[in-house]
Amino acid sequence: MALAIEGPTAEQAVLEPVAAIAAADGDDIPGGRSRVMTVVGHVTLALLGLACVFPIYWMYATSLRRPDDVYKTSVLPWPLSVGSYRDALDELDLARLLLNTTMVAALTALGQLLTSILAAYAFAVWNFPLKRLLYLAFVGTWLVPFQVTMLPNYVLLHQLGLLNTLTGVIVPNLVSALGVLLLRQHFDSFPKELLEAARIDGRSSWSTLWTVVVPNLRAALSALAILLFVNAWNEYFWPAMVLQRDNSVLQLGINSFLNSTEVEAWGPLTAAAGLACLPIFALYLALQRQVINGFVRSGLR
Amino acid sequence: MSRITVENVTRRYGGAKAVDGVSLDIADGEFLVLLGPSGCGKSTLLRAIAGLLAPSEGRILVDGRDVTDIPARGRDLAMVFQSYALYPHLTVARNIGFPLRARRVRRADVRRRVAEVAEILDLSALLDRRPRELSGGQRQRVALGRALVRDPGAFLMDEPLSNLDAQLRTATRTEITELHRRLGRTFIYVTHDQVEAMTMATRVAVLNRGRLEQIGSPTEVYDQPASAFVAAFLGSPPMNLLDAELVTRDGQLHAVAPQVDVPLGIRVAAAGAPRDGGDPAAGRAIQLGIRPEHLLVTSATGGTGSTDSTDSGSAHETGPAVLRGTIRTVENLGSEEIAHCVIGATEVRVRARRPAGLTAGDAIALSARPEHTHLFDRDSGRRLVWQSDQPVSVPPARVPVTT
Repeated sequence: MALAIEGPTAEQAVLEPVAAIAAADGDDIPGGRSRVMTVVGHVTLALLGLACVFPIYWMYATSLRRPDDVYKTSVLPWPLSVGSYRDALDELDLARLLLNTTMVAALTALGQLLTSILAAYAFAVWNFPLKRLLYLAFVGTWLVPFQVTMLPNYVLLHQLGLLNTLTGVIVPNLVSALGVLLLRQHFDSFPKELLEAARIDGRSSWSTLWTVVVPNLRAALSALAILLFVNAWNEYFWPAMVLQRDNSVLQLGINSFLNSTEVEAWGPLTAAAGLACLPIFALYLALQRQVINGFVRSGLR
Repeated sequence: MSRITVENVTRRYGGAKAVDGVSLDIADGEFLVLLGPSGCGKSTLLRAIAGLLAPSEGRILVDGRDVTDIPARGRDLAMVFQSYALYPHLTVARNIGFPLRARRVRRADVRRRVAEVAEILDLSALLDRRPRELSGGQRQRVALGRALVRDPGAFLMDEPLSNLDAQLRTATRTEITELHRRLGRTFIYVTHDQVEAMTMATRVAVLNRGRLEQIGSPTEVYDQPASAFVAAFLGSPPMNLLDAELVTRDGQLHAVAPQVDVPLGIRVAAAGAPRDGGDPAAGRAIQLGIRPEHLLVTSATGGTGSTDSTDSGSAHETGPAVLRGTIRTVENLGSEEIAHCVIGATEVRVRARRPAGLTAGDAIALSARPEHTHLFDRDSGRRLVWQSDQPVSVPPARVPVTT
């Protein structure tokens, strides 16, 4: 006589469903996509990725070829040469151009970020008369073409004596409707209970913004910051109008270099363009994680 | 400590009233539970008391001071939210110290208070962690700590246990009750869970569609529900409510419906003869309420024989059968059984200790003691009590309710 466990043991009971799952496991994932579709998807994405990266790679490859090899079409630039970079640095005052461009882009992006945070916070958190109408009007300015506001802004800068100054490039661009639009979505989805908890805990609305909301939206703010910085960095037309000098910011400097040479000096040109891209790459690398998170959460990926 | 008075508070959203003319007087050190189903306005009322939303009408007073227009931070109230609302970017220590830093308390004092509170709530080992690294119960304690740290006059809690599993909920319920006993502060606690209300509250305020249905001790609201709504909301399973009519027979008042004839233990003649010679109660449409645990199984008869509840080990007693019907299904809850019976056109639930010998399909006869019956007006749903010569609708205990 011995004591026996009644019914199936726990081990048997667990094994049965596992075996059932193993039997059902085939090429297709139940309820998911087939392997073939997954492979096709990945290959398509890889090709698209290559298509995006190739022009950038070709720019650096050309800039690193010897001056005589610039028109060669070999994929690898061999033998390597920094001659194009030396020529570009001789022709252009790159240090000053970089400094000016960085200053304009950084101050513009910071200004836009600050005004966007304040406006988006007000639209998302506060209730005030005509809120919806004001928001639509605010965001609607995004749809107004640059050419419409260009001349009034130019005349205003002339009257203020800000033509030919970096301040004149920055000030009219201190507000970004795109920034308000994107940030409002994030502020809207911010947990309201956290804002209420901060109110109960004794924070004012202003203090809540800087001690609770902003620290928790670093990803979104980083993503927007880099977007605004890149926009300001790449700006060509407005600086060209306001500064009226070819050598004030990087984009104008590169264009002037392109126009000043009689033969098409692609080597130094790609070298200058490559150097102009480096700060953006550095910024992106530094904020990569936040940028991806921010875009994923805002549905902009 | 804080005495909180809510005077005729109404909160509208467009045309709809989320809270409709609610008045409450919550004494110092009281543990008041706002109880009601989803959408009854209990959280809205709590948020109005907290200062998170302004009432459309009425006043809120804390210790006699009108705080209706004073922002949340000026009311000396702390709140624990359903989602805990911990700041994700801050450590436990900084979360707990957040209200003190907002009030510009010196750093050394903040550290000291945080350490004290962490000690009380057994959080000392977790002070450097962030909320995402904590379990649900730990987060709940941090939320309590943040409320506790500034020693407020009253604590407001908005369903703080609803995100915890059943076991942890029971343990935390005891902790909060113990905390209330130790601090002696005023607690206002919102829940839709009647078990929390019954076990934690010193008084329960039952809300329905923005209105206060009844306020009283847990025993009062359970034993003497002021309306059919309260009767049906409290209890698991809730009170059985049957449509019936009052009939006078042999000088006694009976509640009568198909397959129902319940003597109410009220002698009409003894209570005083009607002035006009007729019985004003006779023929009155009422709802008869009997709690499932107060229904006594007189007999249950099926194809396999009959069952007498006194033989089955239940506490039920035999008596004259007053409800007759059929058992539809029987739920086994372990220590007891719930039998769902069809009586006339109504389903009636009976709670009996296991094994009660009840089987689905059997005929069943039930009885109830007169003192365990409740009468409600069928139109207004208000509780009816017998007064000298006719039943009248009475207001609930202490606070008038508009019907």
